[in-house]
Amino acid sequence: MAGRFYRKGLSRRSFMGTTAAGMALAATAAPRSTLAADDTVKIGFLAPLTGEVAAWGAPGLFGCEIWAERVNAAGGIKAGNKTYKVEIVSYDNEYAPDKARAGAQKLINDDGVKFIMMLGGDTMPPVVQVANRAKMLVSTLLPSDLTPDTPYLIAPCEVHPIYNVTGVDWLAANKPELKTAMICAQDDALGRPSVATYLAAFEATGIEVLDDPLFFDISTTDFAPVMTALLAKNPDILCLDTCYSDYVHPLAEQAYLQGYKGQIISCTADFYDQMIEKTSKEFMDGVVFQFPDFDDPALNEPQINFNDPNGFFAEYNKRWPGEWGAVSWEYASIMDLWKAAAERAASVEPMDVLVTMKSGGTGKHAFGEARWWGKELFGIDNALVGDWPVVVIEDGKAVIKEYRSIPAWWDKHKDLMIKHFEAMGEMYYQRA
Amino acid sequence: MLELILQTSVNAIYAASFMALVAVGLVMIFGVMRVINFAHGELYMLGSYCVVFFYADQQFPILVATCIGLVFVGVTGILMERALFRPLRDNPLGGLIASIGFLLCAQAIISMGFGVRAEHVPPTTQQVINLGIEGVAIPLQRLYVVIAAVLLLGALYVFLRHTRFGWALRACAQDAKAAALQGISLNQTARIAMFIGAALAGTAGALTAPLVRVYPYMGHSVIVTAFIIIIVGGIGSLEGAIVAAILYAFVHTFVTTFADGVIADIVGLLLMLMVLVVRPNGLFGTRERA
Repeated sequence: MAGRFYRKGLSRRSFMGTTAAGMALAATAAPRSTLAADDTVKIGFLAPLTGEVAAWGAPGLFGCEIWAERVNAAGGIKAGNKTYKVEIVSYDNEYAPDKARAGAQKLINDDGVKFIMMLGGDTMPPVVQVANRAKMLVSTLLPSDLTPDTPYLIAPCEVHPIYNVTGVDWLAANKPELKTAMICAQDDALGRPSVATYLAAFEATGIEVLDDPLFFDISTTDFAPVMTALLAKNPDILCLDTCYSDYVHPLAEQAYLQGYKGQIISCTADFYDQMIEKTSKEFMDGVVFQFPDFDDPALNEPQINFNDPNGFFAEYNKRWPGEWGAVSWEYASIMDLWKAAAERAASVEPMDVLVTMKSGGTGKHAFGEARWWGKELFGIDNALVGDWPVVVIEDGKAVIKEYRSIPAWWDKHKDLMIKHFEAMGEMYYQRA
Repeated sequence: MLELILQTSVNAIYAASFMALVAVGLVMIFGVMRVINFAHGELYMLGSYCVVFFYADQQFPILVATCIGLVFVGVTGILMERALFRPLRDNPLGGLIASIGFLLCAQAIISMGFGVRAEHVPPTTQQVINLGIEGVAIPLQRLYVVIAAVLLLGALYVFLRHTRFGWALRACAQDAKAAALQGISLNQTARIAMFIGAALAGTAGALTAPLVRVYPYMGHSVIVTAFIIIIVGGIGSLEGAIVAAILYAFVHTFVTTFADGVIADIVGLLLMLMVLVVRPNGLFGTRERA
């Protein structure tokens, strides 16, 4: 192209002069905010994007990308005298600890991120070592990752599995005729603390758990024997714990095929429309779980701290039809908290943001006012806990029935929770 | 209690049928070609994805989708034999490594094409057959798997015992060099064995697609179970694979129901260890095969 210009007679002198004039014009005409926004803050997304746990990573990245586009379109993040554009840098840890460590090192040392978001669980211990050395702020969706040795790790959105108490509490208040329950779960870092939580919640409400929780291996493919064992006890409530959605679906289908007619409660019911197709609308009616669709009108209540939840849900479904799940909004919600703290701290540096985020011991999470909590259960007050929604399927659609307070439950029944966490070997001093 | 035992037995019969289909295919490939096909679970996975594509996405009838799965995965097996295993015929370790390479490629291709999340396969039917005793029933979808397994394994038995190709396969499995000296084409028998072995895995995947989680890594758990079964049955023994599938399925299903699933996995491995201690060549294995 340049050669063609020269052949048309554009001299080197006129070319240089025109270029210099153009650059000067651009420098004076460009708005200041555009120049300032050349600063970019990078946020690491270190979660499983492939592999068996990808359903709790990849949909969150989709949500974060929408969040970042919206924030950048609105001018970016104003921290002190600077305005930053946000760039999400993702690394697929495949839910493998060694890959998570490598990912953390790359994000911190090569990409220069200021904050790392993770799913947590089995991938967290090696990352904590790296993060502690670098004093890097890291978030997890699983507060059970927290210990006194994780000062830079926060659980600011999802207080899994503690929020599960709200579903049981709601069930006991609204369906007092239900007296017995059976629980099943996969035998892993998500399933076991959740079982302890459900056991505590059932005990607090006087619901009898008829037998020991039934654990199954994560490689299980046939859930008929599991369901046969559960239904043999004839429970009023079938508790599917925090089973992965890939297990919840076949478990619900087996319950349906084996003639179960009672109540189901589950931590998640991702893609419940598919569960309805595999069972029936009547069978799924009344299923209680903990994760709302974000087109729910109850999310427009004033205490909700999530920017335009209905618009976010619509945009998400437009871009990723059929992909909405429990984590789709959660990482974006964490980014909301981080952005608010960075703007208050007038800095994007990890320690400045952490100190500001935790100042005063309270904060606002997605569902309203919350407090930094967790010392008794996790050995450190790095989990942000407040109200959590109880969601019920009604006529084929998830509906928020009520927001219930986790701190209020904890204040009344914390001894039960600690008892069952200890029995399951899930207290922070047992895990260490 | 009797109902629970009977229902658990029904569950175990389904599990045995499904496991036998996968394990017999694996044994066929090892018996004739002496290749440990680590990608057998991925052949099973490809069968499931044929149903995802043709039944769930393109709305073909399930029977057509299953037949396409059988043929597609069988042909994939022939291509594997030609491209991977034949050049490495005298190198068993090379064949194993090549199968691991195929495994990774298959997972990556399916992940790119369909995504990493489990696919939704609508049920073919929600009908449940009551077996005459209250509380004992089998969903029709599961009964299809049992019937298909009996028919396919029965047909395989007839094929191996009463056809010239079947005799050739058995001859190669007993002694490939001697079979070759009798004029039997090793390439042709390897092709047939690979087609049958892969097609059985693909059919198992296709039949069970509406019943299990269909995702790119679904072959992992299946291949582990299949290896336990062929070790218990005796590596290279078709009868052993069927008997071991039944034994393993009953033990695993009953322990899952009366204890829990994690203990069932441990008991399954203990079963394998016990058999190896008492009969190092497996229940039906011979020294030559092992």
